[in-house]
Amino acid sequence: MAILKTFFYLLVYPGLVFLIVYSLFCEWFDRKTYARLQNRRGPLHTGKAGLLQPAADLIKLFSKEDIVPEKADRIMFTALPVFGLAIILTSAMYLPIWNYSMTKTGFNSFPGDIIVLIYLLSLPTIILFLAGWHSTSFFSTIGGVRVITMFFGYEIPLLLSVLSPAILAGSWRLAEIAQFFQANPGLLSVNVIGFFIALAALQAKLERTPFDIPHAETEIVGGTFTEYTGRKLAFFRLITDIEMVVGSGLIATVFLGGFPGGIFSSFIWFIIKTLFVIFLLSVIKAAFSRLRIDQMVRFSWYILAPLGILQIFITLLVKLKF
Amino acid sequence: MSITIPIGPQHPALKEPISLKMTFDGEIIKDADIRLGYNHRGLEKLFEGKSYVQNIYVTERICGICSHSHTTCFVNGVEKLLGIEIPKRASYIRMLIGELERVHSHLLWLGVAGHEAGFESFFMYTWRDREIVMDILEESSGNRVHYAINTIGGVRRDIDETQRTRILNSLKILKERTDYYKNLGTTEPSFVARLSGIGILPREQALSLCSVGPTLRASNIDMDVRKDDPYLAYDEVPFEVSTADTCDVLGRTVVRIKELFQSYNIIEYILRNLPAGDIKAKVPRKVPAGETVSRYEAPRGENIHYIKSNGTEKPERLKVRAPTLANYPATVAMLKNGFIADIPLIFAAIDPCICCAERMVEVKDTKTGRAEIKTFDELKKYSRDFYKNHKKIKKDTVWPF
Amino acid sequence: MGKKLGFFIPELWRHIFKKPATVDYPFEKLKVPKGFRGLPVLNTELCIVCKACERDCPAEAIEIRTILEEEKKFQMTIHNDRCVHCGQCADVCPTNAMTLNNEFELSEPSRWNMKFRYAYTRQLRKKSDRNVDEKDKEIL
Repeated sequence: MAILKTFFYLLVYPGLVFLIVYSLFCEWFDRKTYARLQNRRGPLHTGKAGLLQPAADLIKLFSKEDIVPEKADRIMFTALPVFGLAIILTSAMYLPIWNYSMTKTGFNSFPGDIIVLIYLLSLPTIILFLAGWHSTSFFSTIGGVRVITMFFGYEIPLLLSVLSPAILAGSWRLAEIAQFFQANPGLLSVNVIGFFIALAALQAKLERTPFDIPHAETEIVGGTFTEYTGRKLAFFRLITDIEMVVGSGLIATVFLGGFPGGIFSSFIWFIIKTLFVIFLLSVIKAAFSRLRIDQMVRFSWYILAPLGILQIFITLLVKLKF
Repeated sequence: MSITIPIGPQHPALKEPISLKMTFDGEIIKDADIRLGYNHRGLEKLFEGKSYVQNIYVTERICGICSHSHTTCFVNGVEKLLGIEIPKRASYIRMLIGELERVHSHLLWLGVAGHEAGFESFFMYTWRDREIVMDILEESSGNRVHYAINTIGGVRRDIDETQRTRILNSLKILKERTDYYKNLGTTEPSFVARLSGIGILPREQALSLCSVGPTLRASNIDMDVRKDDPYLAYDEVPFEVSTADTCDVLGRTVVRIKELFQSYNIIEYILRNLPAGDIKAKVPRKVPAGETVSRYEAPRGENIHYIKSNGTEKPERLKVRAPTLANYPATVAMLKNGFIADIPLIFAAIDPCICCAERMVEVKDTKTGRAEIKTFDELKKYSRDFYKNHKKIKKDTVWPF
Repeated sequence: MGKKLGFFIPELWRHIFKKPATVDYPFEKLKVPKGFRGLPVLNTELCIVCKACERDCPAEAIEIRTILEEEKKFQMTIHNDRCVHCGQCADVCPTNAMTLNNEFELSEPSRWNMKFRYAYTRQLRKKSDRNVDEKDKEIL
């Protein structure tokens, strides 16, 4: 029975099937919100209100011709999308969605899993860099270099901002942090600055406007993905979508009090909170213009990182008082 | 390490084919070279085979955005050759359509600038409001893009009272929206950070490189054909030449937004002081021999048509100097020492209309660099031989093969 | 960064509850304004075969052929694949036989479907029309 449960956990909910379906739904939600913010309609004709459009796009990409450039490193070029998808699916395992007992620790909930999750979330960035580098085309290489340059910008602020709730809760375990804030919802207001830093950093991690510098289409064509076609590109799209779900799940766990209750209520809370985070991400996407790479790094080191340190100071002060 | 990369002929930043050969040092542009000739349409030859009436519609198709500019420029020139004066009402309607066109072109440019800077929402909003102008134009001329309102000796359609009130009402909305975009485009921090300080073109350089239009006016030089050499009835209409002194892409944005307000004022003035009378004068089909140069301030800059007639129904020569062509030398100067990220913005800031500026193609042998004149059959034979001899392009081959 | 960070957000927020500006095109259509220059059509009863439209068409989209001279039978072909919808044919027509209608959805899978043929017998001219024709011969 335990084995069956683990399999259900891995493959159906909250594993593979749920993640793929939900990430496609999130993409639809993001596209629709983005369109409505711009006074457009967004996807409309595939399925009800265009709900199936992201799935249709994915299927279309899967059926397209798959080209490997002659000069590219064939093995790396093919393996990287698969690795990326595997890593991001693994990272989703650590989200405390359902059935975490605080006393009995399972394979996916242990003290320090927040660090593992952040580590796993940063790996796709390396995958993107390698993918750009191994494509060997000029635009891909530039895109790859930009990915890694941006990575040095946003990773520290993200870590700093995620750290402060952990300090406040006095735990390195996601489930415990979530439970702490469920018990003391008033303390969530301490982390408001951290929440916005984390949003900005997640936006940069997902490479969306204003941080879509690595694949700025008017500058460097497709950036990292210039040479990718067909199935491999579909994998990368899926990676970005799932990364959005996992990233917003992390923010929802740490800053919004997690997902309390049993299987159904935690499911509903997960949907509500992640969609809220994704809505905010869409607003950021619509409200700003793309930055230049030097402006982005300056922004994250001059503004985000000091704010993150300020957030930690505030947290420490609050912690001393209690 | 410096590398040379061709941006174009096919690139998402370029809406039409042109090749910008860039030499980069890291992310910084060290040298730029513009190669034209990907979009040659043989228009000037086409003009010679068509009558003056037909040529109105051919000149209209030089450009999709400044279609009215080209026809007005051409028609003004032909009327100069014929030595006739067009009715006052006709010249006012021409000016009205011309200013409406400037409004739609500048709103379009604002959207394009937003798109190139990755500001998609700005792009969507400006283009949505541009539809108001497009609707006005469609209603008053019968088409959204090619208005075809000019004819030799006047205009083809009149503006009636309902149209007049409708345009005046729409202008109110447009003014309000443009005021919002003025605030947005010049104060939104992430957008301004992208625009300011890039593509610097100092005053002296702008003059010596003969740039025209908003590119020139953004370098604080108040040159405008409408003021300097008034055509139609621009000497009767009060307006100011808008300039900016920042000499960068932000300055070009500011100039265009200022010009939008000037255009609204001109349209309002025209509609309130529209003289009564005929809209068309009778003209003969044959144009007496002679030659003339006609100038017009298109939304993108000064547009020049040179017309030579030989006393028949058809022109002997019609030379078009589109404003984009005059701005190319300045673009090369502006691109130097910029970032890769700024290429689309700097290039878009001159509002390039590439196929308007394509006047000739020279076929050169890439190995010897010798230019040859080839007939179409010879060219076909050459391409057949080329692909017979070069069966497969080997790995690691660098262009030219 | 300046103090106006997020300047655009109120405007975006205002629009999220508004009706979209875009039109769901194939299912709902915009009204075509009066005087729109669409598909050129010939009223064969009014045509006097002066060939002014053929002469002035910038795209050479109008072709008039004589089928039987003695019976005054003619055929006009309008090549809609070449037509640029400038409306010059309607302007020069002395009897208003050529008009441009409101149709704008003109695409066809093949260009041969876009050639409209009109075969007709030339009508006897009325007296009033003749004056117009004479006058317009040399002067546009």
